[in-house]
Amino acid sequence: MEETASPPGVLPANWYDGVSAVRHEGTARLSGESALVLEEAGQPALNVPLGDLVSGGALASQLLYQRVSQPDFRLRLPLDLPPDFATALPQRRKYGGWVDRMGLGKAVIAFTAVSAAAVALFMTAPEWLGPMVPPAWERQIGDAMVGDLGGKLCHTPAGDAAMAKMLAAVDPAETKVRAGVANSGMVNAVALPGGQVMLFDGLVQQAETPEELAGVLGHEVGHVRERHVMTAILRQFGLSILLAGADSGIGNTAFGIASLGYSREAEREADEYARARMAAADISPLGAAAFFERLGGGRDDEDGQENGEENSEDAREENALIGWIASHPSSGERAKAYRNAATEGKDYPPVLTDEEFAALQSMCDEDEDVEEFDLF
Amino acid sequence: MQDQPGADSAFQFEGTWQEFAPIAFTNLLLTIVTLGIYRFWATARERRYLWSRSRFVDENLEWAGTGKELLIGFALAAIVFLLPFFIISQVAQALVLRGQEALGGLLTLVSFLAIFYLAGVARFRALRYRLSRTRWRGIRGGSDTQGWQFGLSYMWKTFVGYLPLGLLVPWSMVSLWNERWSKMSFGPHQFTSEADQGPVFVRYLLFYLAPFLMFFGLTIGGAMFGGAFGMMSDGDVDPDAIGAGFIIGILLFVFGFYFVLGLIAVAFYAAFYREVVGAMRWNSVGFSFTASTKEWIMLLLGDVVLVVFTLGIGYIFLSYRHWKFFITHLEADGEIMLDELTQSTTATSKHGEGLLDAFDVGAI
Ligand SMILES: [Zn+2]
Repeated sequence: MEETASPPGVLPANWYDGVSAVRHEGTARLSGESALVLEEAGQPALNVPLGDLVSGGALASQLLYQRVSQPDFRLRLPLDLPPDFATALPQRRKYGGWVDRMGLGKAVIAFTAVSAAAVALFMTAPEWLGPMVPPAWERQIGDAMVGDLGGKLCHTPAGDAAMAKMLAAVDPAETKVRAGVANSGMVNAVALPGGQVMLFDGLVQQAETPEELAGVLGHEVGHVRERHVMTAILRQFGLSILLAGADSGIGNTAFGIASLGYSREAEREADEYARARMAAADISPLGAAAFFERLGGGRDDEDGQENGEENSEDAREENALIGWIASHPSSGERAKAYRNAATEGKDYPPVLTDEEFAALQSMCDEDEDVEEFDLF
Repeated sequence: MQDQPGADSAFQFEGTWQEFAPIAFTNLLLTIVTLGIYRFWATARERRYLWSRSRFVDENLEWAGTGKELLIGFALAAIVFLLPFFIISQVAQALVLRGQEALGGLLTLVSFLAIFYLAGVARFRALRYRLSRTRWRGIRGGSDTQGWQFGLSYMWKTFVGYLPLGLLVPWSMVSLWNERWSKMSFGPHQFTSEADQGPVFVRYLLFYLAPFLMFFGLTIGGAMFGGAFGMMSDGDVDPDAIGAGFIIGILLFVFGFYFVLGLIAVAFYAAFYREVVGAMRWNSVGFSFTASTKEWIMLLLGDVVLVVFTLGIGYIFLSYRHWKFFITHLEADGEIMLDELTQSTTATSKHGEGLLDAFDVGAI
């Protein structure tokens, strides 16, 4: 390669025409503002429109240019271009189109911002996307996930009637959620995908008044009506995308969603829903308050979670309630909220008669055909 | 006009890691802040550097691939292969759940066969893509075929290779190498590859028999070590100590087993590449690959040390090390008639390797 001093305005250049491997060695000069002229001894000059050139980046000691009209053409010029060439020729490609135009620093900041926004959008998608999914879709998705639980729910005519009555009080909507008592000794209640609410028989047995059950039922219905279930499905779905390939069969995840638990905010919303429905239906919230107090260990405690230690006596007695504590952050504060919702001195009618409450509690004993409900 | 490939080596690597470092680090930074999307541009940038610092005879190579085409290739691969595969596996699972085990199993088998086939096609395509984006003196390479046929060969030859207890694996590897390269060209000239499986097979037998030999050797050694350990601790034979010694012996055995097996695998690959590259010709140019087993081991140990002692950051230098290793050990001799060397007439794909380069293991 010749490196002889060239007159001003002329650069040493070499190029390949992309047709043969023969190297062309000569000079390059600008012709006006529109073209680059490549000259080689004994050959006709080659006129290359500047608009036809694109940067191919840099080689070890040369800048590389390609032609749009002839993609195989390669021109190489010295690394340090004189100012007139530098302004006339396309900018050197380094990182890639966008980054080169913005500059590395700005591009990094811009990409970081866009990425952070994308991550935030993805992370919060369940929250804003969940409520937008039509309930009918959720029902179909939920049924596909949960399958048929019919055989594991307890049924007696009297028990079913009691359940329907209680449900009507806390879920006034035209299309009711499906609610039932699951044949399981666990002290728990869940809202499953597809608008299915289940009280476990263990919890029903623990209840001292029907108002306690109405409180729990109202809370679970609240999860369904506030679309927390759909949000949880979407969150699970997002997680499984992130853990791509961890292809957890759809059936397994239904209870995963229910057991994942909802956010503290969702729990508060579900409680608010329950209180509003109970107020509208004239159900005393004191039953639910008592229930939470028993969970929390005492009505004067502010923080139910610490109570296990202090009131170990109570805690041991109520150990059976641990299931509900695990999936629902129970605390004295929640109990207080229910207690405060009660109208002072008001005489609430009972939500169920004693017979109805008894029918509900004996439902699983009396149903001969019911299968054992095993969750996992 | 003629060029005689130099007396030293026709291939020279002129890069330095100091020059490569800013590229590697900015690539890493941009890849992180774009949540990985920059990866494609990073690959193109890295290759542009490595190719431009690789000299063949009197001119450096040029990488003409772009990040955009790699991204498009990836997207295409995802839509055309991954999505159907995902859907099929879901359908198969649903069928099994519904009690249609046979149908579900058949569907799964078919989708795995399809993946097997496409892996073969992908190996072919990756090489074709690399050649078509590699330029030397403005001339590029490529292939006139799409690799669909190669995919079939890949399937049956790999299958047959493993059939007689794996004894035909060297044959299938060499034969596939020959088949793949014989379909490639650079400029107007076809590559030929007539590698023989004989020399490779000897090394392979070593690899093949080693586990049995080692199993006997190390079992006896381990037992003796265990016994010795037990007796050493106390004049008498202490059963507990024998137990402890035996466990240590087993650990040494397992470690030694995999270490020796790894070494033999490297020895096999060293022999394999010497043979298959040495049997390649391009017009009147012959090639050879001079890396010895020891040099391969040093390369791999160097990789491990580099990655471990930089807590993983050194990973970004591995492509540099491997390319340098490849170029410095590649030799060529023969004559090149430059005026006969005209542009390749092969069709070029408009998109990059995409996901397919995940399957691509070897160098060019
Ligand atoms: Zn809840």
